[in-house]
Amino acid sequence: MSISLRSIARWALVALAVAAVSTQATNYTVWVKGRGTAGTPGDHLDFSYWGSGSVDAGVNKVAANWDGKGHIAAQNYRLRDALDCYCTGGNWCYLAAYSAGDMMVGYALDLYGGTARKKKMPTPNSQGVCPDHPDGTSQSGWNIKWALVAAGAAGGSELANVGAWAVSEDLVSDLKTATARSLYNHNNTAGVWFYMYAGAKGAAYSAILPGQDDEVVAYHSSGAISGSSGGAYCNPRDWFCNDLTYGTAAAQGGRAKWSFHSVFFRDDGEDFNHYVNGSWSGIAGRMRSDVVVYAK
Amino acid sequence: MRRPHPDLVATERRERLRRKGWWLLGAALLATWLAWAVLDSEATSSPPAARADAGLQRAAPVAAAAPMQPPADAGALSRQQQLAHWQQRLAHAEATLAAYRHATRYPRASQPLAWHADQAEPNRPVEEEHALSRDDARVRLRTSQERVFVQGDESVGFSVAAADESGATVPLRVLHASAREIAPAGAGSLYPVVPLDFNDDGRSGDAAGGDGNHGARLQPKAQGFAGLAGQIRVEVHLQVEGRQGMTYFDIFYTSEPPAVWQGKVREALEDGSLQFYLPSIVRDAGRYVAKARVDDANGTPLALLTFNDELPPGAQEMRLTLFGKLVRDARPAFPLVVRDVDAFLLRPDAFPDRSLMPRRAGTVHTSRDYPLDGFSDAEWNGEERARYLDELGRDVERAQEQVSRLAAGPR
Repeated sequence: MSISLRSIARWALVALAVAAVSTQATNYTVWVKGRGTAGTPGDHLDFSYWGSGSVDAGVNKVAANWDGKGHIAAQNYRLRDALDCYCTGGNWCYLAAYSAGDMMVGYALDLYGGTARKKKMPTPNSQGVCPDHPDGTSQSGWNIKWALVAAGAAGGSELANVGAWAVSEDLVSDLKTATARSLYNHNNTAGVWFYMYAGAKGAAYSAILPGQDDEVVAYHSSGAISGSSGGAYCNPRDWFCNDLTYGTAAAQGGRAKWSFHSVFFRDDGEDFNHYVNGSWSGIAGRMRSDVVVYAK
Repeated sequence: MRRPHPDLVATERRERLRRKGWWLLGAALLATWLAWAVLDSEATSSPPAARADAGLQRAAPVAAAAPMQPPADAGALSRQQQLAHWQQRLAHAEATLAAYRHATRYPRASQPLAWHADQAEPNRPVEEEHALSRDDARVRLRTSQERVFVQGDESVGFSVAAADESGATVPLRVLHASAREIAPAGAGSLYPVVPLDFNDDGRSGDAAGGDGNHGARLQPKAQGFAGLAGQIRVEVHLQVEGRQGMTYFDIFYTSEPPAVWQGKVREALEDGSLQFYLPSIVRDAGRYVAKARVDDANGTPLALLTFNDELPPGAQEMRLTLFGKLVRDARPAFPLVVRDVDAFLLRPDAFPDRSLMPRRAGTVHTSRDYPLDGFSDAEWNGEERARYLDELGRDVERAQEQVSRLAAGPR
């Protein structure tokens, strides 16, 4: 073989390798933040809300940032754009949601989880929008294997009810428990299982938040208790309060959890509070340790 | 009817390990992960550990596989740890696949109402309780509002009562209460601030005088909010035993409907499922979301039916499907009752995010009788389900390959 033919063959192999890589399925870990303005909306590499971006947080981690203060409905497109980018075609996602991010994910799956999604290439622009896949095809819904949820606020927080936060903030009005629970059907997750991490190191607002809490959300929300209002749920050693049960079982007292929701971690030791503190702390940090193990 | 679940293993043993030494678990996981990173070159996945349940395999926690004493052969220990973890991942992958298959045997648009328990009675008032204020949690306020989403000529009743630490009702005094639009950020409201008469005299929206519940009723269209499509907040400033407090209620109001219902429901048994066609006249094109509840002849809750699709303007039918297999599995008594229908035009990426159609409370339609064998027993086989079963099945295969490879080697 002449040198020129050898070079041609070499470049052909390179081209084949590139083609193979471009069609290989890839898993992504999509982190969905909660309330707070850190994390540039649309910048999927900006982990400033969470902490150091070099920390292991699952395979091919991306941050589905939104503005952290607007209405869930108005900001939801940020998450849908990210899901379109990384969770369509041959690519699959694990979701890691925190606090109001729980509501973001639930809202998207209920109202848009069965809609036609254009398959995208995972190369977002500065607004977090990805180009269409060259084949131009669509699919029904996204490819999501499971969702881990720390300090889930899909059930709202009584701190919003009593005006502990500025009730003029759009997101705060969504977090009012009656509003949060009626905003969408929490049971309709498009078959995606939500594994809940409920922290109990609450102190400052324990009198306002019913049952156990992480200082911001009570167990009725972080433990995915269904219904149009909250309630008091606790750890087994809290004798005068119904237990938040593990798994999918109804809580003590009979109140069911939302379908496709399962309590995976209950903070019996009262070790984890709500706050990420820009350092992967709190109950979200506890969740991250499992994301690292399972999101491969 | 049973609800599906993959079960998570969060056992008492796991909790003991956590209390004994979280760092021990972290070190074991780190060591195992490092080994995987070398050997695992494929993109694979496993969900979190699953609690055991009937029909699903219990998976041991990763930490349980880590031996507590030094092994004779470091290479064998590493392989043992790898095998244990891949066995766990295999169990998880199998559980996830089984759970997804079980959970999606009916389509999303037609599922047992038991799976959506808090959607069963959409017109019940929302009753809540919260502290008098962030600084005073000894007094509790008990509130109720008839609905959160309000349309057209509908009115909404609100009530508030106070209770002490023992739960006994205590007197409260409403200082002032009003309803106002919560305008979009940066915009002023064009609507008035409307005073509301919260009273305990049995008038103007109070259900019963002298019971400690102070009630009021708001009819947005008649009380200053005609033409509004937005958020209305009712604020109640009150006093209990000399202490000040406040409660507020939010409603989302649609003055003019984007579509109206027109005519009787049509039903047809098609392809083994029972279709209910709800006719409407659509004024504003877009994505409509509708929900209907179905009970059997004995009043037993049967199904939640959902419509979610684009509709053009004009005369349109919303098709709500009662899936054949759901009927075959539930074996309901006929005729079936379709009740409590709600629907809205979804306004993507906007607030408010919906324009409401008129509510259809109570019985909307009663079906004909059908023999059960007229319904299909086939599971749902949509593209989405096939895609998921394929991928989750590959996860099982990949994990099984690793288990087989590691099991064949020296222990």
